[in-house]
Amino acid sequence: MRFRFLITLAGAALFGWTTPSFGEADYVKQVKPLLRERCYACHGALKQKAKLRLDTVELMLKGGEDGAVIVRGKPEKSLLIARVTNPDADERMPPQHEGEPFTAAQVALLSEWIAAGAPAPADEKAETDPKEHWAFRPRVRPPVPSAANAKWVRNPIDAFLAKQHEEHGLLPQREASRAVLLRRLYLDLIGLPPMFAEIAAFENDTSPDWYERVVNRLLADPRHGERWARHWMDVWRYSDWWGLGQQLRNSQKHIWHWRDWIVESLNADTPYDEMIRLMLAADELHPNDLQKLRATGFLARNWFLFNRNHWLDETVEHVSKGFLGITLNCAKCHDHKFDPFAQADYYRMRAFFEPYHVRMDMVPGEADLVRDGIPRVFDGLSDTPTYRFVRGEESMPDKSVEIAPGVPDLLAFKKIEVQPVTLPPEAWQPERRPWVLDAHLAAARKKVGPAETALVQSKAKVAAAKSGDSAAAQGGVNVAELAVTAAKAELASLELRIAAMRATWVRTDAGVNAAPSDDEREKINRAIRAERDVAVVKARHAVADAELRLPQATAAKKSATVEKELKTARASLEKATKALAAPIAATDKVTPLSGAQWTPTRFSTSTKDDSKVEFGATSTGRRSALADWITDARNPLTARVAVNHLWSRHMGAPLVPNVFEFGRKNAPPTHPELIDWLASELIEHGWSMKHVHRLIVTSAAYRMSSSASGGEANEAKDPDNLRWWRRTPIRIEAEAVRDSILALAGELDATMGGPSVPTAAQSESKRRSLYFFHSNNERNLFLTTFDEASVKECYRRDQSIVPQQALALLNSRLVQDSAVRIAARLGADVPANDHAAFVRRAFRGVLGVVPNEGELAACVQTMEAWRKLPNAMPDATRTHLIWALLNHNDFVTLR
Amino acid sequence: MGMGFTGLALGAMLQRDGIASGASWSPPTGLPHFPPKAKNVIWLFMNGGVSHMESFDPKPMLTKYGGKVIAETPFRDTQDPKKLAIERLVVPDANGNKRNLLYPLQIGFQKHGQSGIEVSDWFPNIARNVDKLAVVRSMWTTDSNHGAQAQFHSGRHMNDGEFPTLGAWVHYGLGSLNDNLPQFISMGTREYWNKRDGHYLGPAHDAVPLRIDPANPLDFGKSERPFAADAQTLGLDLVQQLNALRGVEYPNDPAMAARVASYELAFRMQRSVPDVLDFSKETAETKALYGVDQPHCRDFAMQLLAARRLVERGVRFIQIQHGGGGAGAWDAHGGLKTNHTKNSLAVDQPIGALLEDLERRGMLEDTLVIFATEFGRTPGSQGSDGRDHHIFGFTVWMAGGGLKRGIVHGATDEIGFHATENRHYVTDIHATILQQLGLDSRQLEIPGRKRLEIDHGKPIREIIA
Repeated sequence: MRFRFLITLAGAALFGWTTPSFGEADYVKQVKPLLRERCYACHGALKQKAKLRLDTVELMLKGGEDGAVIVRGKPEKSLLIARVTNPDADERMPPQHEGEPFTAAQVALLSEWIAAGAPAPADEKAETDPKEHWAFRPRVRPPVPSAANAKWVRNPIDAFLAKQHEEHGLLPQREASRAVLLRRLYLDLIGLPPMFAEIAAFENDTSPDWYERVVNRLLADPRHGERWARHWMDVWRYSDWWGLGQQLRNSQKHIWHWRDWIVESLNADTPYDEMIRLMLAADELHPNDLQKLRATGFLARNWFLFNRNHWLDETVEHVSKGFLGITLNCAKCHDHKFDPFAQADYYRMRAFFEPYHVRMDMVPGEADLVRDGIPRVFDGLSDTPTYRFVRGEESMPDKSVEIAPGVPDLLAFKKIEVQPVTLPPEAWQPERRPWVLDAHLAAARKKVGPAETALVQSKAKVAAAKSGDSAAAQGGVNVAELAVTAAKAELASLELRIAAMRATWVRTDAGVNAAPSDDEREKINRAIRAERDVAVVKARHAVADAELRLPQATAAKKSATVEKELKTARASLEKATKALAAPIAATDKVTPLSGAQWTPTRFSTSTKDDSKVEFGATSTGRRSALADWITDARNPLTARVAVNHLWSRHMGAPLVPNVFEFGRKNAPPTHPELIDWLASELIEHGWSMKHVHRLIVTSAAYRMSSSASGGEANEAKDPDNLRWWRRTPIRIEAEAVRDSILALAGELDATMGGPSVPTAAQSESKRRSLYFFHSNNERNLFLTTFDEASVKECYRRDQSIVPQQALALLNSRLVQDSAVRIAARLGADVPANDHAAFVRRAFRGVLGVVPNEGELAACVQTMEAWRKLPNAMPDATRTHLIWALLNHNDFVTLR
Repeated sequence: MGMGFTGLALGAMLQRDGIASGASWSPPTGLPHFPPKAKNVIWLFMNGGVSHMESFDPKPMLTKYGGKVIAETPFRDTQDPKKLAIERLVVPDANGNKRNLLYPLQIGFQKHGQSGIEVSDWFPNIARNVDKLAVVRSMWTTDSNHGAQAQFHSGRHMNDGEFPTLGAWVHYGLGSLNDNLPQFISMGTREYWNKRDGHYLGPAHDAVPLRIDPANPLDFGKSERPFAADAQTLGLDLVQQLNALRGVEYPNDPAMAARVASYELAFRMQRSVPDVLDFSKETAETKALYGVDQPHCRDFAMQLLAARRLVERGVRFIQIQHGGGGAGAWDAHGGLKTNHTKNSLAVDQPIGALLEDLERRGMLEDTLVIFATEFGRTPGSQGSDGRDHHIFGFTVWMAGGGLKRGIVHGATDEIGFHATENRHYVTDIHATILQQLGLDSRQLEIPGRKRLEIDHGKPIREIIA
């Protein structure tokens, strides 16, 4: 440390103190960014530790508790230099764990600047109060600007844009052609291109409201839900389960129920606020509604086998980013460096989730949770305290303070009131749900039939057996008979267990805690006896089965195995027989039937499940309270974040540049009033997303051409199209690429919902891509090539352009087989020798546009060349052309 | 040298997100930040955890004290809890991490070459080339489970999330050296926690997987249905023509330009990749040197020979996983002797051959070869004949690319428990490689993506020539 100090001073002397050339510009360009990066978090608008701010020279001269921190012209007398070079780690700035010490070059820079008299611009402004940051201020419905470019304006969205067009001397591009608009609307709203017949119909539609009618029809189309579900699945991090081999490690089995809920909710235009409430707390708000419980897949998806902190970190991070557009995760180890969020705020947010765990509920008609079930959350760890981890390290919890659920002060527009929720019995005793018992019974009945069939078959074997084998065959009959007896006994026992359970419920529901009545006791006893009986029959079956197999076992090892089995079976039989004979004690219980299963974790060791988390009769109410706060119309962030996502996915770029970061670190939005207006529209129209969709797609802004042609003057002023003078083209998403190809080929399977299509079945599947099994571990190669969402985080889709995409479109079976079908569909009524007619047809059918003269000529010429190739197949030229058009840039581009 | 398409992808994304709107950031130019000493990297990664004591850091004390409880040997202070505190767990491992009984070396070792560096007898071919190596015997990491595989590639513990791997950074930072092949190629199986590279740099910076299968070397690398080459060429010309013609209506469209360029590269890749795997032009001597005819090492030999051919063609970064999948082939919790015998047989000859082949072709000067593994193995035994995961001290070596030759850097204690001299976290290896490639990782930082000091690491100056 000492050594570093010496070097530091030497460096400063060498580079700085004697050169007075340092000016205001250098301060602004070099010194200020350095101080902003290293010091402002504690000595600026966000915090004023030691009452000191460093965000203007004036404030530095004013100083803090220890007086001025700079002395103009005298770095050696400036506290600022002394503190950043102090060798004592306790005195040094930034403090230990808050940042690395300044480098020699950085100290030299500061010294040089001070030596030069600490020049700064005269109009230097202090940082604004974080409370004044636009996104944290209450949302106020802004007035719609009037006058500007009234001829262009179709709805208020355009008015907001037109105002800035006027201010910046920009003229919006012309409206795109009807063909382009149609394709735009289809792909945007339902994720599929218009079919040739639809294009033809709309081209001939002369009614003035054709556009609105298309919009209405597409918004009402169930495929709209599928399309936009995929967008929200990106944001909400949908993932099928993954692990190592068959071991579940992340997310949940059957999580597709949540996906189906998203699709259905969007189609039903379920209000956005309601969707958030259900995703966060359906188990508290609708504890008996399985359909709504599916929504909590949002939280069940974060389940992680091994590490609770890892799990809750992801939950806090993505609830904050996804719904609120804040990076609370940055406050895990220390106070947020840019926004007024204390480290404790991170753990307060965590406390909302601390009690929650995941279980799988039985669905009607299926008793086997391996085959189906609804993964959902429940509060099972209600007594687990939340502690702040010192510097974010889980090995260092600060146990002196138990952290209660809460929100950052800045956003506390109302008091968070957590009210425990009393759950109905079916919610925490899911075996009470009527379909649960039915499903168990049905499963037991199902076992009797096959056992009886097997018996008939084994009897037939006896009849057919040669004399030498008849003993073995008779033994087979014996085993089969016992199997039937066991299956029937199991069914009988099940019925008796159900009767006993019901009797107990009647008593406990009446609030009687006393001992069971004689009648109930009798039912219980009968059920217990029946269970013991099942054990005996099953053991008898096992013994007979092993005895039968023993003589047949040839190899020594095999027969040893069977002998061991036989020994075990005999022991079980003995035990079961004794148990059956034993009297029933008052403490003996019926084995209850289960209607849900806790998803076991392995937090304490990787080879053994943790002890079971029980379903409780109450839920803490924490998550409902959080949901209530997030969806309160006064929450300044929720609606703003939502409309920004909607805008971004419709328009190719968001209004607030970083969609998950509305804090001070983000660049200021160009159109804050438009965001607030859209947010107000969302809220005031009952949080209807379809309302906002309709507003956006019926705006003139949406209908502009994406071409820059003729907009050279605009381009010079606003090359990045920040003021929306033209439409931004979109490289369509992976799912839309694949779905479009299949749709054009007439092969897309319209089936909605259900279990995800497993990886092995995907190459043959014609289902929409959102139904493909998709996890961190298993991804479809074609979709991945086109930037399919990462399940870890995907607030926006990448739109890369890489050669692997070209290879996928050039070479994949998907494209090549589809080209054959598309060519046949489009060309059926085009005369075989009329290349030009086919080209026109193909352009409209595949790209949605009419080819220009050059394009037409190029295509016709190439078709001729294909035709003349040696070994050319007669139909191949058309297939080749379609294949080429599927490889066209504009096929994967939303113009 | 150019940026290709990938620069467009991330640069555009960041501009778009407004993250990079400040004047202080611009995407990399594709040029090194300072004169490079190496151009290419061959990254060999042994999945599962190679025993450092039975490979490149032999410890005779293990044999001497074999069977003794560590606490009763002179090495008892190795178990001082303070020294063990670097460990960060995802989950307490059922394997436990206390392996108290010292386990004797399962293989002999000798001094080799001019340098006299000791190498175990499991690696005779690498040992023959020991004078080319810079052996770093003082590595440490923090994740004592196989998430350490990802940690070795990205520098970050699994609990911190997922971060770009070294290859992705190189791909992001440096332009292309050839016009026909991807710049970043991966071979071998990768388990899910280490399957991708780009992460926040974007999928465009993922390695392109290459299979040693001339019939199907590259995903979508050739037509999946019969398609005559001449018909395809005509079609491709048409695609490019049509794209150009769209430019009339949509002038100055950078995405269109990138798309056209991507098709050109795709077309060339389609031709060039099979050529890389066409070993028919290699001499019989070369093939025999690598061991492509030996069943026990054939797969790895083919991958390494392909790697050399890729480097010859200018591919920047080749990442080869040995024994990937599940925990990894080298994960010898039991039967260490059998395990390491088999695995060393699979890799030793090809690696020795690669070093010799690169050298005789004058390529070793420009090519960095890295032999790495996620962690070492415990000095103490697990069960009767295995060793557990060990993060406190282990070995990697590097060769070529302007590094010193025939040196050992750093050391573990006498039983190979803790790295004691010149300790290096995994990112120091990254920093060393970047240094040789002429890249400054700090200049590559992405606005809005905070990297910690330890993510950058420090170049190991002592092994740089």
